[in-house]
Amino acid sequence: MRIPFHLKSALVAILLCVCILPARPAQAADIKYKRSVERYNVPDVVLINQDGKKVRLQSLLNSDVPVIVDFIYGTCTTICPVLSAGYVNLQRKLDADSKKVRLISITIDPENDSPKVMKEYLKRFRAKPGWDFLTGSRADIDTVMRAFNAYIPDKMSHYPLNLIRMPKGGSWVRLFGLMSTKEFMNEYLLATAK
Amino acid sequence: MKDLIRNKFKHFFRVNFGHALLTVMIPLLFSTFGHAESVPPNDLSHAEIMRLGERMYREGILPSGKVMETFIRGDVAVDSSAFSCSSCHLRAGLGSFEGGVVTPPTTGNKLYKPYRRPPSFGDVADRAGRHRRTKTAVERPPYTRETLATALRFGTDPTGQVFNDVMPRYPLTDRDMSILISYLEALSSEPSPGASSKQFKFATIITDDVSQEDRQALLLPLQTFIAQKNQQMGMFNDFIKFGYSPTIDMQFAFRSATLDIWELKGPPESWPGQLAAYYNANPVFAVLGGISNSDWRPIHEFCEAQRLPCLFPITDFPVVSETDWYTYYFNKGYTQEGEAVARYLNRLETISTETPVLQIIQDSQVGKALAAGFRKVWKECEQQEVTTLTLSSQQLLDQAALDKLLTKHKPEVLILWTDAELLPNLPALVAKLPANGIVFVSSGYLGKKTATIPENVRDRVYITYPYRLTPYVGSKVGGFDAKVPILASSKDFGNRRITSRSIAMLQQTTLQGLNLIYDNLYRDHLLDIMSMQMDVTVRDYERFSFGPGQRYVSKGCYIIQLGPGLDPPLLQRSNWVMY
Repeated sequence: MRIPFHLKSALVAILLCVCILPARPAQAADIKYKRSVERYNVPDVVLINQDGKKVRLQSLLNSDVPVIVDFIYGTCTTICPVLSAGYVNLQRKLDADSKKVRLISITIDPENDSPKVMKEYLKRFRAKPGWDFLTGSRADIDTVMRAFNAYIPDKMSHYPLNLIRMPKGGSWVRLFGLMSTKEFMNEYLLATAK
Repeated sequence: MKDLIRNKFKHFFRVNFGHALLTVMIPLLFSTFGHAESVPPNDLSHAEIMRLGERMYREGILPSGKVMETFIRGDVAVDSSAFSCSSCHLRAGLGSFEGGVVTPPTTGNKLYKPYRRPPSFGDVADRAGRHRRTKTAVERPPYTRETLATALRFGTDPTGQVFNDVMPRYPLTDRDMSILISYLEALSSEPSPGASSKQFKFATIITDDVSQEDRQALLLPLQTFIAQKNQQMGMFNDFIKFGYSPTIDMQFAFRSATLDIWELKGPPESWPGQLAAYYNANPVFAVLGGISNSDWRPIHEFCEAQRLPCLFPITDFPVVSETDWYTYYFNKGYTQEGEAVARYLNRLETISTETPVLQIIQDSQVGKALAAGFRKVWKECEQQEVTTLTLSSQQLLDQAALDKLLTKHKPEVLILWTDAELLPNLPALVAKLPANGIVFVSSGYLGKKTATIPENVRDRVYITYPYRLTPYVGSKVGGFDAKVPILASSKDFGNRRITSRSIAMLQQTTLQGLNLIYDNLYRDHLLDIMSMQMDVTVRDYERFSFGPGQRYVSKGCYIIQLGPGLDPPLLQRSNWVMY
């Protein structure tokens, strides 16, 4: 039987409504970042924090609370402020419990990010205690980036990455992409639960 | 089947109801009830609207003086004290590409025209029609003031496409929105003077305290650069004559260029008047290089006032500022050497807060600049002020008086910001120090004679060295930076490297800015482009690094010692960059 054209069109329209339209928003609302669980060997390097104090990275990361690491720089224009806003909001959400997480930002511009620059950056974001910004020699910073499979030869080609160290077992959740506060909080809670 | 369809629709509305409300209903409500943004506020002068708008754009401060509150990535609250519109769209408003994110232009000139992004390889559109990686729309119709207000409030363009999550959503009042939009309309609306589709006009600045030899060392690379640009323009014109049609981008890569030489004579107080006369007679797009043995400040301030880019002058006395915008420097000159000593001492484990430090400054511009750098960083390191004496060059030659001072202050660390006249007396000074006592000097101030520091005290003397130590291997075959490792040696002391630094400035940084400017002939845009370039390795410094607002591209300075001999090896005692 030959199907009239207008019926064909109607069928196609219905199929589109059923198959495509619901799928689009459902997928759009999906998680937009990539998540994986990794193990990393943290290199034994000494870095400098925003107060100019030397810190041994291994000791800082080997914590019994979740540790979150990102790679940013002080004069960054686009994704670093977004990552840092994520840190700020996590600290705000945790409020009195903000000591239950250790936030670490490691510079990818060690030439420019002196303790003074890093301190001013944290002040600009109204960071609470528990968020440290680290710099160091370029060689040490490169070593750290390589250890976390996050090496970039130049800061201008960086990408949004958060790494959460789970206190039990010491494995890392690798989160590639920008997260909402809710998503970030959920990832933190997951790390705490395990 | 019926149930399936019903469930699908139920799911659709459940998931999207809130979103739909936000993206459709609220903009509609605003468009119904709020039209104030469609006209600029009539109770403010144009100048006041521009001032308030610029403050919103650059600093994220509302006309009320409060910070702009915003949301990114849906629910990430942030205020504009952390970052503002110009952080991503940059000062000229032409946007940026950084961290895998394309930030499109936000000037009225661009926004009120339809936009179509040129196609590129691997340009796979996602469901919203944007490039998968860079997330920019392929095309959109022109904005109006109303649709622009909707875009800023809700993150949707005139076709309803949703912006990348990194673009904040600004819940501004109609009045504040109107001020910001008026500013965007005026931003980069008129091309800067000194540039046209066919030509760039440049100047260089030379003061009358510069030797003929140094003058030629500067002019040689500059005039070669201008000749090369004009030769390329000639070749391009020949192609056109033979019927070649340039692509859109190609035509912007070829422009002729001119170079005026602005000679400044007499006392520095008279320089601003001379500069104004040169500028008014023939405005230029940018100042390329330049050279002076005096303080660069009068020229720096003139360029700030005229909003005139001044690219990498040869000066040991740059203005050290964290906010000034228009002059790019190689480094902070003598100030940077002083800073390096403070950083090195701060990390030296053999000294403590009790260690007596004596700083002797020769009463000169150089001595003061070195001491200023030391003092600034020493204070940042929260160290106690050191004992400081400023002596004339005659007093510095009075050995008996110096002995008395050392006996009185008993320093373990002696910082000598003096010229090379003092060097023959250095062993006598070192002999007055305790066995673990050390001395710091500046290779910039000692110049060529740094290599003559007496051998018997070389193990006690630490020297600032703001140039490359590791072998530099050029990237080209032949030419000045052929692939031959160039090693630093004591012969480099006192060499101002005028030609090689100017070549690096032109070929490795400025050219990139000029090539990428296309038809956006705005001085601020040139500086924006240059600030967003990748780091480069150059002959004279270990690294040039860039970033928005960064204006001193070489950030390092070594502390070295001399090995034995008449042509002593340079012994590295610190990292290039120290904290």
